[in-house]
Amino acid sequence: MAPIVSVRDLRRSYGQIKAVDGVSFDVEEREIFALLGPNGAGKTTTVEILEGLREADSGTAVVAGVDVRRDPSGVKERIGVQLQQSAFPENFIAREIVELFALFYGKRVDSLALLRSVGLEDKAKQKQEKLSGGQRQRLSIAVALVNEPQVLFLDEPTTGLDPQARRNLWELVRAIRARGTTVFLTTHYLDEAEALCDRVAIMDAGRIVALDSPPALIQALLRRGFSKPVVQQQANLDDVFLDLTGHALREE
Amino acid sequence: MGQVLRYTAYLLRSYARDRTALFFGFLFPLLFMALFGVLNFGGSVRVSLAVVDEAKNEQSASFIASLRAIETLQVTTSEREAALADLTANDRDLVLVIPTDFRIAPAAPGANVPKLTLYENSAEPEAAAIGRAILSSVVNQLSFAVTRTAPVIAIEREEITGRNLEYVDFLTPGILGMTIMQLGISGVAFSFVAERQRGVIRRIMATPIPRRNYMAAHVLQRLILAVVQVLILLAVAVVAFKVTVVGGIGSLLLVAVLGAVVFLCLGFAVTGLLATENQAAVVTQVVTLPQLFLSGVFFSRDAVPAFLKPVADLLPLTFLNDALRDIATTGASLADVSPQILGLVVWAVVSFFAAYRLFRLDP
Repeated sequence: MAPIVSVRDLRRSYGQIKAVDGVSFDVEEREIFALLGPNGAGKTTTVEILEGLREADSGTAVVAGVDVRRDPSGVKERIGVQLQQSAFPENFIAREIVELFALFYGKRVDSLALLRSVGLEDKAKQKQEKLSGGQRQRLSIAVALVNEPQVLFLDEPTTGLDPQARRNLWELVRAIRARGTTVFLTTHYLDEAEALCDRVAIMDAGRIVALDSPPALIQALLRRGFSKPVVQQQANLDDVFLDLTGHALREE
Repeated sequence: MGQVLRYTAYLLRSYARDRTALFFGFLFPLLFMALFGVLNFGGSVRVSLAVVDEAKNEQSASFIASLRAIETLQVTTSEREAALADLTANDRDLVLVIPTDFRIAPAAPGANVPKLTLYENSAEPEAAAIGRAILSSVVNQLSFAVTRTAPVIAIEREEITGRNLEYVDFLTPGILGMTIMQLGISGVAFSFVAERQRGVIRRIMATPIPRRNYMAAHVLQRLILAVVQVLILLAVAVVAFKVTVVGGIGSLLLVAVLGAVVFLCLGFAVTGLLATENQAAVVTQVVTLPQLFLSGVFFSRDAVPAFLKPVADLLPLTFLNDALRDIATTGASLADVSPQILGLVVWAVVSFFAAYRLFRLDP
């Protein structure tokens, strides 16, 4: 089966800075794929090129069978996106936000069913700006699903969320993949990538420096002779926190 | 088209929930009207008018009598020399000279009509402007009455005598113009700069909605708002402040929408130069404040210093206010205000191209 996202030698510079410097990779259908990297590694630029929001200087990117550089609006119709540092218009209730974005795709949706699928059914009539950070991220995912996308792009979806909200969002991402949608996300939380993703690409200074499943990447590192002092710990601070505060989602 | 209309409906609904926007769009202009119209300049403006009757016939007497019946006018009769001396001494606002050939009768086509001469006191520009508006409305009504059948004359005359142009009558069209300007310039600049900064526009542009549909909905929403604002402000002005609107509501709305187009285009052009809300706060003031004072919102433009007149005369709000005021206070038709309409059309074309060049949805 052909990969659902296929990137070959993608390049994009801002003046002297090579933000994306010859990136190539494939994402298979129904995969949860993550692009990892420190800030400024070029993750967001890469993702925005794939979403049809930014033009590449050179290279090719095919998403859901559409060449992004030739038909950015065709790509937009086939994907769902959650952007970093974006917001919804104010003075709309959650339900209207879903319906409004469906309108932008020229579709009508069952907005309540979609809100139910992200656990926001009881917030349908709340103004979106009054939602908590985690709720807003889930609304943003509901919105990204209005056009039944083939690929869902999530740019740092759990940044700023508390541990409960993060785990809740992971569950949501797994459920979306279970329904057959490919998920492409960026993160700089490595535990998130390890817990959630089938394969990860690690990016640094505009290049991909490694690409494999998290266990394979770890094995490769160990084979190179890496070792660190082993401290036998059956739990970590994350476990302590969740043990004390529970998994239940909080209202912020 | 369906997408544009449905998006417009969503935008109007969200506007109706936005308290700040509602305040500036509706309450703020009404407060201005109340403040200027009732507290400060309340009551009627008295215009002292000296009439020089050189015709001294029955018709000039009846004309003067109908002027005396108008509450706003303080009519005195006098000789030309004395009247003009009073005007120079600032004791009179206006001097009206009725020529010897004065008559109220239909004129044969091409024949000379009697010419009334009006001297204005430049030191009292508001009073002079109001008096001039009243006089031209009386003359219009008379000319109208003469060319119609008898019963119509009576009705029209009653309307003339009942007519009492107060400061609020003068003020209301100015407030309409100001509100339309704010809707276009501040309304566009603040909301688009904020939505661009917060990433709202970027998020919407990640969907396949065509940019022209997005823009069309936002423009249409504001044009509808302009019409609603004009209707509500006029209704409150008439009901609460007893404002008399002489001209047609349709003409007022048409001019208002044309004005809204001009100021929306200017608003989009200005927004193209802005990156932050702080810049928006400064630049919108720079664009709107001079027009607020030079374009005759609160006071007659006759008060504008001579060296600023050439500029003031060409400002977009000047064209809008003059047209709205002529229609509202003297019952001018669209044809009567065609110079102002032409001015607005020129501004619309120029500012549309400026907006097209400068405005960007992307940050």
